[in-house]
Amino acid sequence: MAEAVMGNVTGRGIWYKFRSFFNKNLLNIFAGSLFALLAIFLLYPIISVLLKSLWGDDGLTFDFYVEFFRYNFYYWSLLNTLILGVSTMIILVIVGFCFAYLTTRGPLWLRKPLKICALLPLAAPPYIFSISLITLFGRNGLINNLLNLNFNIYSWTGVITAQCLAFLPLSFMMIENVLNSLNPSLEETASDMGASEVRIVRSITVPLAAPGLLKAALLVFVMTIAEFGNPAILGGRNPFLAVDTYLAITGEGDFNMASVLSVVLITPCVLIFILHNYVLKGKGYATITGKGMAAEPKSMAPVIKIPFMIVSIPVAVMVLLSFGVILLGSFVKIVGVDNTFVIDHVLNTQSNIAIWNSIKVSLGAGLVGAIVGTLLAYVIMRGKFPGKQIMEMVALSGFALPGTVIGVGYIMAFNRPPFLLTGTIWIIILNCVFRFLAVGVEAGISKLHQISVEIEEASADLGADFITIFFKVVLPIMFSAFVAGFIYTFMTTMMSLSSVIFLVTPGFDLASVYIYLTAQLGELGLASATTMKVIAIVAVSLGILQIIARKTGLDVGTKQGA
Amino acid sequence: MQATQTPMLELRDVYKSFGDVEVLKGISAKIDKGELLTFVGPSGCGKTTLLRIVGGFTTATSGQVILDGEDIGKLPPNMRNTKMVFQSYALFPHMNVRKNIGFGLKLQKWPREKIETRVDELLALVHMEGLGERTIDRISGGQQQRVALARALALEPKVLLLDEPLSNLDANLRVVMREEIRNIQERIGITTIFVTHDQYEAMSISDRLLVLHEGIIQQIGSPIDIYERPANEFIAGFVGYVNFLEGTVDAINEETNMSYVITEYGKLELDHDQKDIEVGDEVVLVIRPETVSLSPSHGTERPNTFHGTVESQMYAGNLAKYTVKFGEKKMVVDHYNPMGSEKFSKNTKVKVTVPRAIHVLKRKSASANV
Repeated sequence: MAEAVMGNVTGRGIWYKFRSFFNKNLLNIFAGSLFALLAIFLLYPIISVLLKSLWGDDGLTFDFYVEFFRYNFYYWSLLNTLILGVSTMIILVIVGFCFAYLTTRGPLWLRKPLKICALLPLAAPPYIFSISLITLFGRNGLINNLLNLNFNIYSWTGVITAQCLAFLPLSFMMIENVLNSLNPSLEETASDMGASEVRIVRSITVPLAAPGLLKAALLVFVMTIAEFGNPAILGGRNPFLAVDTYLAITGEGDFNMASVLSVVLITPCVLIFILHNYVLKGKGYATITGKGMAAEPKSMAPVIKIPFMIVSIPVAVMVLLSFGVILLGSFVKIVGVDNTFVIDHVLNTQSNIAIWNSIKVSLGAGLVGAIVGTLLAYVIMRGKFPGKQIMEMVALSGFALPGTVIGVGYIMAFNRPPFLLTGTIWIIILNCVFRFLAVGVEAGISKLHQISVEIEEASADLGADFITIFFKVVLPIMFSAFVAGFIYTFMTTMMSLSSVIFLVTPGFDLASVYIYLTAQLGELGLASATTMKVIAIVAVSLGILQIIARKTGLDVGTKQGA
Repeated sequence: MQATQTPMLELRDVYKSFGDVEVLKGISAKIDKGELLTFVGPSGCGKTTLLRIVGGFTTATSGQVILDGEDIGKLPPNMRNTKMVFQSYALFPHMNVRKNIGFGLKLQKWPREKIETRVDELLALVHMEGLGERTIDRISGGQQQRVALARALALEPKVLLLDEPLSNLDANLRVVMREEIRNIQERIGITTIFVTHDQYEAMSISDRLLVLHEGIIQQIGSPIDIYERPANEFIAGFVGYVNFLEGTVDAINEETNMSYVITEYGKLELDHDQKDIEVGDEVVLVIRPETVSLSPSHGTERPNTFHGTVESQMYAGNLAKYTVKFGEKKMVVDHYNPMGSEKFSKNTKVKVTVPRAIHVLKRKSASANV
């Protein structure tokens, strides 16, 4: 027997050796390459930013930080950013709670419409609300003119409103999830004990949801301070960190100060990322076993119902109105001023070229992102090597880091050999791949959680080698996660502005950048039409993602790129 | 349990439908003060829905719920003097044991010292002294069960509702807690409704059982009634295994108090206790496996005996279980305490003797036949 096997080995020759080498080492080869990729495309740019903030012409120096704190302008920028983050966070936790309470416990007729309104902003880039707010409340805005208001939208009110609308889905989804996971028996028991609904909300629902509310608040905070579009368009004279970083580079070419601003912006993000993933992880109240009877919708007490509706319905109307004016703005000359129908905005060549460029970049990013994400998920779940946790942390960190910071990092890291990528389409694609990697990885991990490692062991037991198992068992099982990762990366890349704005070259506009520039110039028709096209593309992608999620039980779409 | 006593709780013709699905189809029942009544039935029979209607978590489509003479059918849970222990216990995870038990008292604005005294009393009642400061995740499942019970009892409700309270405990603990719940219930004399799908649990804890199936009450009665005098074939089969044997009443001898039933195995001589049985009735005999005896096929002939063959046998120490075949038909025979007596192996010819005291179900009345 042994001889026969030996004979076989030599008989198969090189191909056999090649195959057996890969059989033994494929997982490690994957792990090694992925480590290298993460190091080059995530760590290296971030480290470049860190170094640049400390490295002047004469070597190591803290001058730039001293400068940051010396000038009023910069620490106002920091203060404004924090104020924006905190106020948006507080408002959105309250609004999100009202929405989620009504969609989980409120009257049946209201649940679906409210939920749709709360999720609608997912289908649009965050800065859509800048455009719609200008259309409604700008100097020649529809409502301003209609009611003869002298309201200035280029203000704190404008920025905060836009941010709240943009990040409503994030807050709503997280809080709804928390409220849905509470055992209904708890609220029923409290009622059985004689508690009124107000009392139940105060002493049972809110305390139990508190850890989830805190997580939602922290995520909203991170997303808001990192957002570039809304403060850039509506911020007026108020400085914000993300915007100033951009201005430091485009206006003054001051990479040192841009790096300092980036580090300042990144600090709260990193702290919260750590808090969120390592301190708060698993916190919250484990639901005690036993089925919670599907509570029959009971009528809400008016003391709760009316205030909650007063909070959420106007917000829902505002969301609908925003999408409405974008649609309207695409087809009329100037909304509210000259309402003649025109098709020019939609047919504009520059806009269409920008859309086409975005589609190309997004397809590329989607494909690369899905491959890298799926492999990462597999390696993280099945590999046995030191540094796995670090690998996972780095892979997921792209999501927590502000886009502007990674953008600054990319221009500094990849404008010289050995990685000369500046000016190519690849720098944009790779940037988006690694920023939005988290969702693909998480989809893959959740898929792998569903399937037992025993499936692979059983295949091995039946005589399959690693290569066969990988291609015939693992990849087919992970295919839905692959597609989800692809579509998600595609979608977020279509909408992404904060990072790519650093990387586009003149003559190669992306849809998001084009929207930003036209909005800055007051070309609201062009901005609206382009936004509408982006929304259409994203909506279709979301639809496909929903279908996949429903068919395969994947949990995707709970995160949103800025 | 006298009929003259006003019931603590009365259900009058309760209907409930969810959309097109009728879950409860006219439930009427009375529960006396201090009684423990069990709602029992297979899953989906509507027992939990009925309990939730009593508790006020669901409102009946029609019908009345009368608590101590007052119609409470439309009141929300917080306005009713019934308290529920949920299947999941529904303990508040952000409060410790004391706070959980005292929750209802605090809502009633009891002064702090009175709450403390009452909570101590309750902790003692459920044997949880000294564990009041523990958080919920640091006590065992059985202890969580006790806390949930204490919390429900704190306000001295008129009726205590228990929704499958033992289903989350392991088998041994279930027996312990079952006895403990019964113990506490009898000690404080609280009227209690207990919901379970486990018929043995229901039999062993209850004063009376209310057996529900497909939204209809199949029978209300004491455990003895249910087991020995089941109202129909469903009830008979629901509590324990039963061999059904069809027959026709051939004759009744009022003097000897005997009835004679012709079955496919032959004529059986039975005690004539059920006076509603008449000659000519088509009946089903409820033959419990443990009431039947086996003997070798030779030996003296006795009445009510058939000859058959052992098809399979299983020996479990305290019990020898046989399946005896009579042509196409089979009968299960349980021989308890088989130690020292004769065992029968597969394919042995045996005699099966059916006792005279057998419950008879009327399938078709002779008078209706005419």
